[in-house]
Amino acid sequence: MKPADRLSPAAAALVGLAALLAWLAVYLNLGSFARWVTYGLLRLAPGTHVSSAVEFLVFEVPKVLLLLVLVVFAVGIVRSFFSPEKTRRVLAGRRESAGNVLASLLGVVTPFCSCSAVPMFIGFVTAGVPLGVTFSFLVSAPMVNEVALALLFGLFGWKVAALYAGTGLLVAFVSGLVIGHLKLEKWVEPWVYAAPAGQADGQTAALTWRDRIEAGKAAVVEIVGKVWPYVIAGIAVGAGIHGWVPENLMAGIMGKQAWWSVPLAVLIGIPMYSNAAGILPIVQALLGKGAALGTALAFMMSVVALSFPEFVILRKVLRPALIAVFAGVVGTGILIVGYVFNALL
Amino acid sequence: MEPTPKKTIEVLGPGCTRCKETYRVVQEVVEAGGFSFEVVKNESIERMVELGLMATPGVAVEGKVVVSGRIPKAEEIRTILAAS
Repeated sequence: MKPADRLSPAAAALVGLAALLAWLAVYLNLGSFARWVTYGLLRLAPGTHVSSAVEFLVFEVPKVLLLLVLVVFAVGIVRSFFSPEKTRRVLAGRRESAGNVLASLLGVVTPFCSCSAVPMFIGFVTAGVPLGVTFSFLVSAPMVNEVALALLFGLFGWKVAALYAGTGLLVAFVSGLVIGHLKLEKWVEPWVYAAPAGQADGQTAALTWRDRIEAGKAAVVEIVGKVWPYVIAGIAVGAGIHGWVPENLMAGIMGKQAWWSVPLAVLIGIPMYSNAAGILPIVQALLGKGAALGTALAFMMSVVALSFPEFVILRKVLRPALIAVFAGVVGTGILIVGYVFNALL
Repeated sequence: MEPTPKKTIEVLGPGCTRCKETYRVVQEVVEAGGFSFEVVKNESIERMVELGLMATPGVAVEGKVVVSGRIPKAEEIRTILAAS
């Protein structure tokens, strides 16, 4: 028995509040902590490449990890209220448009793993969820995820995180709408519609708040446990760039003037998949050296929404032509997002 | 006790770490509790579709999905097995 299991609800709430306050106290003092380590403990001279890189590293690593823990925990609790089965029930028989909006939003909160993309795809279409609505879900679920949002918030601030979430949802909505209007059901492998699909409920018992908090903890252990090495490696590379790469070096390659940088960023992003957590801190450092925000966002979206491994998995249920349309439509949406941000910001 | 024909408990998933963990939990409960169940690991997507499972890992007892999209707790599996 863990001690937490014996706590009364009031005591548990107090423990939670204390943990949150402790989190906040640590988070708000990271700046002074990083300065103390760099200039007090290590006695590095201010204004040098080394001290600048060290301060960056000591500040960013705990900051990003703290944010990840909090956001993943909160999302873990929110997700315990949703399930693919419930989402399918909500989406089945929906019309386009309203269905696409709902599917994009539900994609954010429904537990999703790209390893179960195929059974979920089949479960959706055989239950009468329109193909375009299903695609809205399949685009939004991996793209607008908690790890990406926590990292964006930690490294770029809430405005960029909100922009990413908003435009990500828009890309999911429009892509699904377009695919729905193209009437591409003929490019779904025929066995999908012939499949003797059962409709499992999958929920054995009603969850208590304790179960939901456990679900949040489990999400932290699983997700943060998996991505932390990438975060540290990414920030270390970022710290190097921060300290040594001259200002505006990236302006020519990833700046607003370079029109070709957005499509290039999208193309480079496709083969990168699981390393989103490690790539973002590098992108942040590049941004500081003159890369454009729209290009960086497009890169980020492409990394998480379009990936070769997912195409291979989806090949089981989709004809290559439909996978190509899917990649083309979503890729175009991401391109537009990149260009619009480079033009506006 | 009379010997009863073995029932099956299936662990479904494409072989990710979560699925392996689920298999471990289920097998441990079956062995420790002395349940007369055969534990089967099934990685076929067709089977998941047939059962109507949409999220992995999943657990099915005698062809009925009892866990979907999460790693079950040992206690939960024990209760399910005792009831069936």
